[in-house]
Amino acid sequence: MSRETIGKSNRLSGRKGLGETPIPWLAPLVIILLTLFIYPMFDILRLSFTNARIGETEYNYTFNSFLNLFQDSGFYAMLKVTAFFVFFSVVFQMVLGFIIALSVDKGESMNLRGTVFVRTVALISMVIPGVIIGIIWRMMYDESPTGILNYFLTLIGVGHVRFLTDPFIAVVSATVANVWRGTAQSMILLYSGLKTVPGETLEAARVDGASAAGRLFKIIIPSVMPVMLINLILNTIYTFNTFDMVMTLTGGGPGRSTEVLALSAYTQIFQLLDLGRGSSVAVLLLLINSIMAAVYFYIMKKSEV
Amino acid sequence: MKKKYNQTGAKVGIYLIYILTSLFFLYPVVWVLSLSLKTVPELFMVPPKIFPKSFNIENYIFVINNTQILRNLWNSLYIVICTVAGTLLITLPAGYAFSRLKFKFKRSMMFGVLIFQMISPLVIVIPLYRYFSQINMTNSQVALILVYIAISVPFATWYIKGYLDTIPVQLDEAALIDGCGRLKALRKILIPVTIPGIISVSLLIAVNSWSQFVVPFILLDDGRKFPISVGLVNLQSTTEAVTTHYLAAACVIGILPTMVLFIILQRFIVSALTEGAVKG
Repeated sequence: MSRETIGKSNRLSGRKGLGETPIPWLAPLVIILLTLFIYPMFDILRLSFTNARIGETEYNYTFNSFLNLFQDSGFYAMLKVTAFFVFFSVVFQMVLGFIIALSVDKGESMNLRGTVFVRTVALISMVIPGVIIGIIWRMMYDESPTGILNYFLTLIGVGHVRFLTDPFIAVVSATVANVWRGTAQSMILLYSGLKTVPGETLEAARVDGASAAGRLFKIIIPSVMPVMLINLILNTIYTFNTFDMVMTLTGGGPGRSTEVLALSAYTQIFQLLDLGRGSSVAVLLLLINSIMAAVYFYIMKKSEV
Repeated sequence: MKKKYNQTGAKVGIYLIYILTSLFFLYPVVWVLSLSLKTVPELFMVPPKIFPKSFNIENYIFVINNTQILRNLWNSLYIVICTVAGTLLITLPAGYAFSRLKFKFKRSMMFGVLIFQMISPLVIVIPLYRYFSQINMTNSQVALILVYIAISVPFATWYIKGYLDTIPVQLDEAALIDGCGRLKALRKILIPVTIPGIISVSLLIAVNSWSQFVVPFILLDDGRKFPISVGLVNLQSTTEAVTTHYLAAACVIGILPTMVLFIILQRFIVSALTEGAVKG
């Protein structure tokens, strides 16, 4: 970054051409981000302080959308549902993802048959669109006598479960479907993290007689810790942003019992046509996204040093 | 002796996890496939059967003939191809600059780009819906593709920058010393050796764009322009219990392109994902 190196690269190209400044190289990127990301981000912030409605052009500036939001008990119920959905999704995605990553990694080193198969299968959900995941799980959760999950549960004596019609169970059902969706992301991240665990250290510990659990907690987990943190943040962001899957799985129902944050913003704007209020919900989502991004950068910076 | 015993124990444990993993992840997919091959009487059979009696593909024929699904697939394909091309056109030069040029605020700018990877598309699509309707650009595929590109560029920039970083600087510096311009060096020397990375990143962008829902759902209301994700949601809203098998067939059709791509190229994609992951 010093003057010297800049001088050097100028000498290398043999001329001070247009190519030396980053501006033409970065201009398209910057333009598209400015117009389609940064400007809309400021605009939604502005809209959240208005009483704008979809289909009407006139609006006034007001704090009411936020004030009404904070006085609405439905808003706090929505936050609670979102918190439950995000917390349990992320925890189970990471735990399952780590278990699968560990066994696939171990299976590879032992040359076990079927390892590539399992690794592929565990990643399948990554290539299935979220709306289709919602539709598929809706079929799985079918509460009629032909529903497959209810059939199995009745068979093993649990009995009939109201997967999508009971307000609380519906949240759990949405969370399970989201775990199915997001475990792949955790698995692949942690799997690549495991590849960086020094083999010699592990072997040395084994020779020294460290137990499998000891190796796991003293060597493996500490060395994948940075990746785990990154995984934690990314999965939290993605789960907060979830919209498509819940849309087709429950549509936010029964009632508003599975209306998570992103879906709530959508419903306010495009169904209730309240652009101002919906924007304030979206601003909350933006705020969560930004805080998470800040934590992410903090960790990236720390793990680099 | 002890070691041998441990090995067997580990093997049993791993296979147990393998079986549970496969069941958990495959079962829903197998079930939708099974539903898609069933006839109406089979659909209502109690207890439900995992394997349909006859593999009848009539549901698929019905869906293809009676819904817009082929059109939706074509729209998705068109959007995905344009998005991949546009994203590469923007991120190859940007990735090059971040990898090879030296300038102020480079690191801050790189992190700045990454922030957008974490912003929900819903947040930007709400105001964009307003602009596009003001300038009569809702239902415009050009506008739609530009938004898809904007969503894809943060990851792609980082990925391409990371890939270029693995290529020795000496390779293109030699060309620069010979008086070759930077653009020519990128085109003639770097891009050819970056092809594997370009393919990987294209696959990842394609898969993500194929799945994209919230953007077209909000920006489009002309049914003839819907990509597969929006088409399926429309189909779902008109589906009843007696037509579940049609919806299942439509889902299988919607999954098939990316699934086949993934299974054939899974090694490629896995390595792309793991590289991307380590680099952050």
